[in-house]
Amino acid sequence: MIGLSHYLIVSALIFSIGLVGVLRRRNLLMLFFATEVMLNAVNIAFAAISHYYNDLTGQMFAFFIIAIAASEVAVGLGLLILLYKKYGSLDLDDLANMKG
Amino acid sequence: MDNILSVLIFFPAIAGLLGFVVDKESARAYGITVAAIEFFLSLWLWFSFDATNAGMQYVEMIPLIPDFGVSYYLGVDGISLFIIVMAALMTLIGMMSMSITKNVKNMIITLLFLEMTMMGVFVALDAIIFYLFWELSLVPMLYIIGAWGGPLRVYASIKFFLYTFAGSLIMLVGMLFMAYVYHNLTGVWSFAITDWYALVLPVEYQLWLFAAFFFGFAIKVPMFPFHTWLPYAHGQAPTIGSVILAAVLLKMGTYGFVRFSLPMFPDASVMMITPIAILAIIMIIYTAMVAYAQKDIKQVIAYSSVSHMGIIMLGIFAMNAEGISGSVFQMLSHGIVSGALFMLVGVIYDRRHTKLMSEFGGLATVMPKYAVIFGIMLMASVGLPLTIGFVGEFLVLLGFYQISPIMTILAGTSIIIGAIYMLAVYKKTFFGPITNEANKTLKDLDRKETWSLIPLVLIVVWLGVYPKPILEPIDNSVKAMLVFMEEKAITQEAKDVIIVAKSTEGGI
Amino acid sequence: MENLVYIALFAPFVSSMFAALFGMSPKQTYVGIIASMLLFVSFASSVTLAFTIYTTGTPIHVTMMEWISAGDLTIPFGFLVDQISVTMMTVVTLVSTVVHIYSIGYMDHDKSFNRFFSYLSAFVFSMMILVMSDNFAGLFIGWEGVGVCSWLLIGFWYHKADKTREENPSISPSWAANEAFIVNRIADLGMLVGLFILYWNVGSLQYDVVFAELPNLSGSVLNAAAIALFIGAMGKSAQFPLHTWLTDAMEGPTPVSALIHAATMVTAGVFLVIRANPLFGMEEVAGVSFFIASLGTFVAFYAASMALVERDLKRIIAYSTLSQLGYMFAAAGLGAYWIALFHLAAHAFFKALLFLGGGNVMHAMHDELDIFKMGGLKKVMRGTWLYMGIASIALAGLPIFAGFYSKDAIIETAFNEGTYLLWFMLVLTAGMTAFYSFRQIFLSFHGEERYKAFGFHPHEMYKFVLVAMSPLAALAISAGWFMDDFKEFVYKGIPEYEMSHHTHHIAWLLGLLVVVVALSGIILAYYKYARTGAKAFKRDEKVEESFIYKLLKNQYYVPKFYEEFLTKPYAMISEKLWTTVDMKIVDASVDGIAKFLYKTGDSSRKMQTGNLSHYLNWMAVGSVALLLVAAISAMLG
Repeated sequence: MIGLSHYLIVSALIFSIGLVGVLRRRNLLMLFFATEVMLNAVNIAFAAISHYYNDLTGQMFAFFIIAIAASEVAVGLGLLILLYKKYGSLDLDDLANMKG
Repeated sequence: MDNILSVLIFFPAIAGLLGFVVDKESARAYGITVAAIEFFLSLWLWFSFDATNAGMQYVEMIPLIPDFGVSYYLGVDGISLFIIVMAALMTLIGMMSMSITKNVKNMIITLLFLEMTMMGVFVALDAIIFYLFWELSLVPMLYIIGAWGGPLRVYASIKFFLYTFAGSLIMLVGMLFMAYVYHNLTGVWSFAITDWYALVLPVEYQLWLFAAFFFGFAIKVPMFPFHTWLPYAHGQAPTIGSVILAAVLLKMGTYGFVRFSLPMFPDASVMMITPIAILAIIMIIYTAMVAYAQKDIKQVIAYSSVSHMGIIMLGIFAMNAEGISGSVFQMLSHGIVSGALFMLVGVIYDRRHTKLMSEFGGLATVMPKYAVIFGIMLMASVGLPLTIGFVGEFLVLLGFYQISPIMTILAGTSIIIGAIYMLAVYKKTFFGPITNEANKTLKDLDRKETWSLIPLVLIVVWLGVYPKPILEPIDNSVKAMLVFMEEKAITQEAKDVIIVAKSTEGGI
Repeated sequence: MENLVYIALFAPFVSSMFAALFGMSPKQTYVGIIASMLLFVSFASSVTLAFTIYTTGTPIHVTMMEWISAGDLTIPFGFLVDQISVTMMTVVTLVSTVVHIYSIGYMDHDKSFNRFFSYLSAFVFSMMILVMSDNFAGLFIGWEGVGVCSWLLIGFWYHKADKTREENPSISPSWAANEAFIVNRIADLGMLVGLFILYWNVGSLQYDVVFAELPNLSGSVLNAAAIALFIGAMGKSAQFPLHTWLTDAMEGPTPVSALIHAATMVTAGVFLVIRANPLFGMEEVAGVSFFIASLGTFVAFYAASMALVERDLKRIIAYSTLSQLGYMFAAAGLGAYWIALFHLAAHAFFKALLFLGGGNVMHAMHDELDIFKMGGLKKVMRGTWLYMGIASIALAGLPIFAGFYSKDAIIETAFNEGTYLLWFMLVLTAGMTAFYSFRQIFLSFHGEERYKAFGFHPHEMYKFVLVAMSPLAALAISAGWFMDDFKEFVYKGIPEYEMSHHTHHIAWLLGLLVVVVALSGIILAYYKYARTGAKAFKRDEKVEESFIYKLLKNQYYVPKFYEEFLTKPYAMISEKLWTTVDMKIVDASVDGIAKFLYKTGDSSRKMQTGNLSHYLNWMAVGSVALLLVAAISAMLG
């Protein structure tokens, strides 16, 4: 029987994959993907817990996250394209303009 | 003129604002006029002050934030009255003697704002208003040192600002906590000092609050070991800055002890007598010795200020009317005398652009008037009877003798080591043959300098011979405060100390 | 009568202020004349007061106004003219009047003539406050006041440069002035403490209140008060170990030495003991009083021994002053207050005369003070010779002269009290006194005219100066004749002291012994120093190389000791405190806190690489840390 804990473990694994992506990747596009992965991991957890408690609020929240993530990607990708046009690279090591 | 106190605070501020439109050439005359009017206002306050009334007079109260009990609350009693008059006087004299030629207009405006903050601190009866003016007073002084100071001015001014600011933040925490405790115990918010007086606090709270206020005041005084900002500030400040700093700003710290610590935390104050007395004695002896080692006249006087402030601190914690009244009187005396001494150093600095003693020698021959006035101020500084310096020092030592004979004798060495460094300065600067060519053609005091110093000389002698008009109102208020402290003290030990301190029977 | 009290007190003040008006202008002879006249007014008032007190026997007590009042303390400006103070007032004003007139001549060529009179009169004013005050605080005003005037007057020739101790044992006038002031301040602290003790146990500083309350005080309080007050007296009266300033004070102009450092100010300590006789005379403080007597005797001997080898004219007289102060303290300590007061007055006359005579010599010799360079001055300065001779005889204590009566009484007292060691020392000192005073007379006025070799052309002082000195000479001779009248006069205000029957019986023998000792001292001095020709005085290298001679010459190395073990270490410690403690520890730790904050900011700035990836890493670290904190606190709470 697949229980709540299995879902949460999957969610945690996916989140960790996303986190490693955020920490290790240098390409901005890849960072975007990694954050999407993390968001979806959270969505899984939300849906599972919602089901577990028989409370729809969690699933509603998951939908919100999907919607927000979609719009964020829309804006974010636009910015990425502009960045690429300006600098010719999406590698973070090349974009370190804000050194203190 | 029921709102004379508000007038005293805001007249210089408004005049300072108007000062921006005054012509550069006449800025100086304008400043002197404003300061003179302010001084006469303070004199008017003194003459209409009821000396027999020990309580607060000319009280003004306008609620500002009623929900939190913050109000614009002013009042004056015998303790603060003369500090106000002295602040007005020293600002006036300082302006009269000012020798600055660069940006005179800015200096005048700054001084007028500074005068506002000084007045505010000494008349405020609401902790928030007090704190406001207390912190505001840093800004003009920061500007004065930073803009007109010597080569190390930026370091000195920032050190002065940050150091005293750090202390006052701890004090602010104490104030907020005090108000919070007040709220917890009474159910209403109030920042009025008179309300706080009425609050009887557990000893533990008193100790914590005493400590919080202590940092704010002790750094300002400045007490050992928080004194190191002072020699830098004095060393770098222009003459006028040193005069105001020594005469008035330092008094804020000791005034704070009398206004806040003693009546609000009587038990804690009594418990803290010994530690504070030890610090005060270190201040007196240690800084006097350090003063002796200085090469720069102004540094000697700066360190001597610390030493004299030690006497004042000792008197405040004598817990009897002799000591505390003597202490308040000594605040005035130190204000006048150290102010005058800084002005005198300024005189020679204007002529030679150096303050090193090794550059001088034999000045008494070429500048006899200067030597005479310096000599009088020196004698007042070492506490010669019939000068202003003796009355306070004598009363403080007399008062503290009842608390601890040994510590009084240690503190009393100030009359010896004070004489040592002061006479050494005088000998090196004024006596002996003139060895330096540059000193042979020095001009004696000019009219401006003479007329700003003569009033101070007269005050020094007058208050040394007849201190009664000033000592009496101070003494009345101090006595009332002591009665109040005795009633309010909750531990029997504190009550005993306050009773024993004023009894003239027993003890060695 | 009240007016007379104020006139006596304030005439010197007016004189001082008047002279001060001309303080910075060139010499005006009338300043000196008016000052002298005002002093004479003060003297006349004092004499009138003395006469009034003599006839009525009741002291005059006036209160001018309140001075300090705080807490329970009230100090008025009150003045008490009784037998003790009126004696002092008369002595002080008489000597000061003479010294003022003398100074018109002596300071003739000094460009600071007017300033000198201002200081001198200010001194007299302070001294009058000291002796006339009716409370201890007022006494203290005068006490410090005379200290400051003494500082001003010792350092009168402030423009002189510092020299090494070998060249000039006093280094410079300004150095000597500072030394005097600071040493006196040490003693003043003791005095202040005495005031505090009395105030906190009695509740007042008025003499009458304090003295009335004394029997109710415990022994420890009385002893503490007596010791503290005596420490004050030790400083002003230059008793060992606070004595070094007095000889150095000879850097001041000679009239100053005559007035301040012989006749008046230095006797203030003795005056204090006499004034506080109800305290010092109590059973409980007998130990302190005996200590006073012993210290006095020791100082009498100690100072006389140093005078034996001194070559500086003024320093010899200074040592003799020190020695005579010792005599006074011996008498006061043994309870013979009136004898101490009488010796004080008699000493004031002949010592002032001696100093003024010394001033004449100094004037004649163009400020040369080495008596080895003088000799035979009698021929050119007959008047001065006569005066100094009279003063020296009085000092040596030969019959008929003032010193005989007063000093002999002191020696007799020591015998009477059964303190034979003190008696022996005092007799011995009397012989030494006679020797050194005549050594000085013979070396300067008799014998070979050594000054010619140094090219001096001595001349006698102005006539009017010599005339002005005559009252002192008359009193130096005759003061002793009035001893019984004086005794009768002061007995109304001072505890009586009479010799026991036994002592009275052999008094003539004791007196004879002292006279014989003194005479042998004089004869020895004559043989050694006064003869001319082949037997004339010659310096003996071998004696001057001996240890004792060097010890005495260097004042038992006490100044050296003070310099090595007090002055220099004080300067060194001060320097260390400043450079090491203040700068390197206290200030550095404050700066250390500031630097620590700055450094922390500076090093954490490196985190700001501008690389988003690094930021994200830090963000992850932060989140993990926060999670950990939350988890731990959840577990604990």
